[in-house]
Amino acid sequence: MEYLLVEFDEQRGVLIDDIEEGFTNEVIELETGTYLISLIEPKDFAPESREIILRRTTATRPKVIRFEKV
Amino acid sequence: MKKSETSHRIVLTIILALFFLSSCAHYTINQPAKYAHQNDSYEFSNFSQSTDADETFVILTFSGGGTRAAAFSYGVLERLRTIPLPGKDKTLLDEVDVISTVSGGSFTGAYYALFGDRIFEDYKEKFLYRNIEKELTFRLLNPVNWFRLASPYYSRIDLASELYDKTVFDSLTFQALADKAKRPFLIINATNLYQGALFEFTGEQFNYIGSDILSYPVARAVAASSAFPFLLAPVSLVNYPFPPDYEIPEADKMAMKDYWINKERYFSAINNLIFSDKANHPYIHLMDGGLADNIGLRAIHDLYVRGGIRKKINDGKIKYLLVIVVNAKNEPPQKFDLKESPPGLATVGLKTCTISMDNYSFETIESIKQLFEERIKAQQYIESCQEQLDKHCPDSYKLPSMSGGQMKLYVVDISFDNISDKDEREFLKNLPTTFNLEKEEVNRLIEAGGRLLVEHPEFKAFIEEYQ
Repeated sequence: MEYLLVEFDEQRGVLIDDIEEGFTNEVIELETGTYLISLIEPKDFAPESREIILRRTTATRPKVIRFEKV
Repeated sequence: MKKSETSHRIVLTIILALFFLSSCAHYTINQPAKYAHQNDSYEFSNFSQSTDADETFVILTFSGGGTRAAAFSYGVLERLRTIPLPGKDKTLLDEVDVISTVSGGSFTGAYYALFGDRIFEDYKEKFLYRNIEKELTFRLLNPVNWFRLASPYYSRIDLASELYDKTVFDSLTFQALADKAKRPFLIINATNLYQGALFEFTGEQFNYIGSDILSYPVARAVAASSAFPFLLAPVSLVNYPFPPDYEIPEADKMAMKDYWINKERYFSAINNLIFSDKANHPYIHLMDGGLADNIGLRAIHDLYVRGGIRKKINDGKIKYLLVIVVNAKNEPPQKFDLKESPPGLATVGLKTCTISMDNYSFETIESIKQLFEERIKAQQYIESCQEQLDKHCPDSYKLPSMSGGQMKLYVVDISFDNISDKDEREFLKNLPTTFNLEKEEVNRLIEAGGRLLVEHPEFKAFIEEYQ
């Protein structure tokens, strides 16, 4: 399995391939692969979404992506 | 003369009626979905539950193996019903969230999912003690059925399905399971002959074939799951065009980019999306679920790595995850190694069907155990790193916690191999795969299922650590 950390200024639900799953600022466990990541509403963040490849991560060194509050 | 004419007319009328019957005989056709979310109520992600129902998440998988598997898994259910959960007015059976079944195990799983505790009142007489094979043979010998079987759209599996429908499952459809709005969520597994891939009787799967699962008879799903090659014909389904508002899931679109990164995810999407090619695959033919996975664990593996169980973990809903695999794999005595001449076609055919099933079952259990170990280690890494940081750097950085926190995970694999008594082990391993076992054999299987559950070290660990 792989590990993803979605950083955001507050705790917010994460959208993984359009399905709400896990929360910002926590390490989310997923299988290796390509994902479309976004956050649940309100749409007060940027970018709107990010496509990532999740591979060769560990729980202590997850892939980190950040959404900024706008 | 007149008398003879009358009898000729009667014979002609009977023949015409039987021909008419033959031309009318058709398997039960699955219905098209009228709108995209028609199957929502029988999708794992939407299946109703009370708010704390996920904390202790219990999954059962029931293997194939005819009545042997049905009785063995029944023994596990019966024992789970006697184990109270500390601090709760519930038994462990009340906490069962998912049952994934194959072939013989599908009878027990489906019966419990449909009728709940009624299984402990009438299931033995209604199924386990019955000679289903004899009843099927009688149906085959009925001349009316000869004409029905002459139809290219009606076969032995449809006769079997009718028998199960009327005498075991009260003619209920998946609507009855959805209406219960109560777990366990039942996954009946069959094998799609075209790809050799798993076909699950769930709302998610039926979305891919543009069909309504709610109107589909549970008995036909069980028949598909137990349609052993050569003995029974496949169960057929129509692959309908998608309803107008249907959209392919984003996860499948993303997985199609993963050929070089994760072939397992890529081919899982391929197996889903093959049904989008309606022109080349207007029909689907299903056989015994054991051909793709004889223990029903692949469906759980997939829910764990890319489905609803992973979501529940990442949402922090599960504290204890307990998977109980009930594997009724047998090992009847074989003598072909005693002869120099190689075994005949029948033996080779049977071995070809079962060797891959058994090897794959072993690999699947090991794979899910490894996944759980990986999760436990990941939790421990984060915890121990934080401990070191706190120890050596006071007021140090706080590592982000893991979604789902410090979850506890257990795999309890129950099989005849776990039995220490040689005579008992051999007795149970020698039982054939049939729908006709003696009452005493059934009772011994039930007893063994329950006992092996409570004797299993992982199950003992779960009971000890459960708070």
